[in-house]
Amino acid sequence: MTFDFTRRSVLLGAGAALGTFVLGRSQALAQATVPLKIGFISPVSGPLAGFGETDGYILDRAREALAGGVTMNGTGYSVELLDRDTQSDPSRAGQLARELINSDGVDIMIAVSTPETINPVSDACEAAGVPCISTVMPWEAWYFGRGAKPGEPSPFTYGFHFGFGVDEFYRAYISQWDLIETNRKVGVMYPNDADGNAVRAVLAPRLVEAGYEVIDPGAYETGTQDYSQQIRIFREAGIEIFNTFPIPPDFAAFWRQAAQQGLHRQIKIVQTAKTGLFPGDIEALGTLGNNIASAAYWHRDFPYTSPVTGLNGVALCDGYEAATGRQWTQQLGASLSAIDVAMAALAAAADPKDKDGVAAAIAGLTADSIAGVVDFTTGPVPNVAHGPIIGTQWQPSEKGPHQFDYVVTENATDPNVPVVGTLVPYNA
Amino acid sequence: MSAQLVVTRGGTTSRITLALLAFAVIVLAATPWFFGVGGSGRAVALLVYVLLAVMWNALAGFAGLVSIGQTLFFGVAAYTTIRLSNAGLDPYLAILASVAIGAVLGYVTSLFMLSLKDGEFAIGMWVLSSLAHLCVNLDPLIQGETGTSLISLNGYAIETRSSITLWLALVLTLAVLAALFALLRSPTGAAITAVRDDELGARSIGVNVIRTKRIVFVLAATGTAAAGALWLASNLNFQPRAFFGVHWTAYMLFMVLVGGLGRIEGALIGAVLFFVIETFFASYGAWYLVGLGGVAVFFALVLPNGLWGWIGPRLPGEAIPTGYIINKSKT
Repeated sequence: MTFDFTRRSVLLGAGAALGTFVLGRSQALAQATVPLKIGFISPVSGPLAGFGETDGYILDRAREALAGGVTMNGTGYSVELLDRDTQSDPSRAGQLARELINSDGVDIMIAVSTPETINPVSDACEAAGVPCISTVMPWEAWYFGRGAKPGEPSPFTYGFHFGFGVDEFYRAYISQWDLIETNRKVGVMYPNDADGNAVRAVLAPRLVEAGYEVIDPGAYETGTQDYSQQIRIFREAGIEIFNTFPIPPDFAAFWRQAAQQGLHRQIKIVQTAKTGLFPGDIEALGTLGNNIASAAYWHRDFPYTSPVTGLNGVALCDGYEAATGRQWTQQLGASLSAIDVAMAALAAAADPKDKDGVAAAIAGLTADSIAGVVDFTTGPVPNVAHGPIIGTQWQPSEKGPHQFDYVVTENATDPNVPVVGTLVPYNA
Repeated sequence: MSAQLVVTRGGTTSRITLALLAFAVIVLAATPWFFGVGGSGRAVALLVYVLLAVMWNALAGFAGLVSIGQTLFFGVAAYTTIRLSNAGLDPYLAILASVAIGAVLGYVTSLFMLSLKDGEFAIGMWVLSSLAHLCVNLDPLIQGETGTSLISLNGYAIETRSSITLWLALVLTLAVLAALFALLRSPTGAAITAVRDDELGARSIGVNVIRTKRIVFVLAATGTAAAGALWLASNLNFQPRAFFGVHWTAYMLFMVLVGGLGRIEGALIGAVLFFVIETFFASYGAWYLVGLGGVAVFFALVLPNGLWGWIGPRLPGEAIPTGYIINKSKT
């Protein structure tokens, strides 16, 4: 009897000890080592490298902030960010996405900057059933460009995009161009590509409705060397506003020829998109870059804080400049905002490892980010959330240390952003 | 005691091979249950590589037609799949229709391309492929290099879609392989081998060289078109450069060179090897491509007949029996 009792107690004790050990261990495992993997695909080398230049810094900050893991719904997770460089090649972008999905088993994907990067990655995620967050391209080219039809239900389940569209450009331009007295004649140079054809079809008619006279010499092919025909048309029409969506080398060629032929002296506003996003584009133009107006999807003066890193715009940009010695760019906040939204998406799902659950959660997600509130419930179409485009100008810096200051001149699409500068006429 | 000649077409080796192939087919068909959506996607990639390798091998190894522009059929099939499904056709019917279009395109192309010789033919095919690429770029639906997506496939739930795509890939691959096998065992097969070994000699003994080449060319076009449409179905994204790109030609060359030119077994082994290498090493980026090149150089120098050129002769009989085995037997 005694023996039996002892044996039982020993067994009980052993069982309890083992149970405690197993339970304790599984809790410890859950707190530290259930891994969440996030794929991050962007162009770091090649012709689109300007967009990916700052991503290394952003990823370092995010990895630092997430090093201790995160707790979602009471479960602890470690977070791993797997970044890949598309080398600006669309087919490589798709290939990288498939590798991250199949070999690395990512739980969510982030794709940043340009249709060449985002569209193949979004498609690969849609094909494999992995949630995908993307930003920095016109949402129309992401949604309609991939075959969705207006008025029909969204064909996408796993891909979600946030950021500007043609409407934001329209509102920013109207607001920006009212800052200076002009004859309201706008010369436009839209190339024969996805972006160029989209703005020609959608933006130009709305400018006409708003009372501007649009002088369009027709689509030009990317890589054109001689623009004398267009320059002559613009001079004869007497345009005072110039708007273009070119790749940087084409704009440099066009604008130098325009200057040689005196067109630049009659123009009060040079409004560029796609070119003039980053300081390098403008510095390459020499003094011709002075006072070129641009439009920004993010700016260091945005009054928001990144929930993931705890950094606001100023702290992020100062840190970048101190660490690299280079001038901040608007891509810093854009790339970080994608990580902010992806983390919010994982946290919003009941189980961040459940891909269908995460995708469903994003559809109803309202997330804070360093670029402002990203709200997928009020987007222009399903799977898309609005983002701002803020009118800006590259003004020669008086205090330095950089050649140009990137100044906010209007804030129609996000009134929380402080307007600190006055638009200066280009030919002043 | 008179010696008699016994002609056979199969043996233990071919029976074992058949069993292995049957097992592989069963495993591939069951992939959706065992490895889920991701596994099905990889299985389709493997089948696409098999199609490309076997078809390029048939063209170069059997008909002596070295083409560096097979992306013509690969890309056009993907494009017509996009076009037809955009016009409202069910995407899977669009894939089948595109395979048929690939066959027709192959026939039409053969009418003028087959009169070109060696290098001219190779470059001519490349020119045709580039031309098709440019024409596809002009379609407003494709939006130049931006491309578009096979969006109508999203109408199927993801598990359904990935399984159907896999089974369709399996059926198409088996059909193309069976057609090639039957062709090589038929009297035309003997003509194909004769043309490969000595075109002038074949003509002198009455082989219709152009007709023989055309049959192989059209079959290769059909199989490559199937690969293109299936690749689109498994990836959804159509960017012209990703389909007409010359890297596909490099992959086909690699698979056939490493596996062994002129044997179906070689192409199969090359495709599987390429798939395995890609699965484990693709994440090394540029070094992966350097490694591929290194492997290709190694095989060109050390095993010019490929893996099967080394394995094949060491086996009794043929693994995939396309020839005749003649034995002396005593009765």
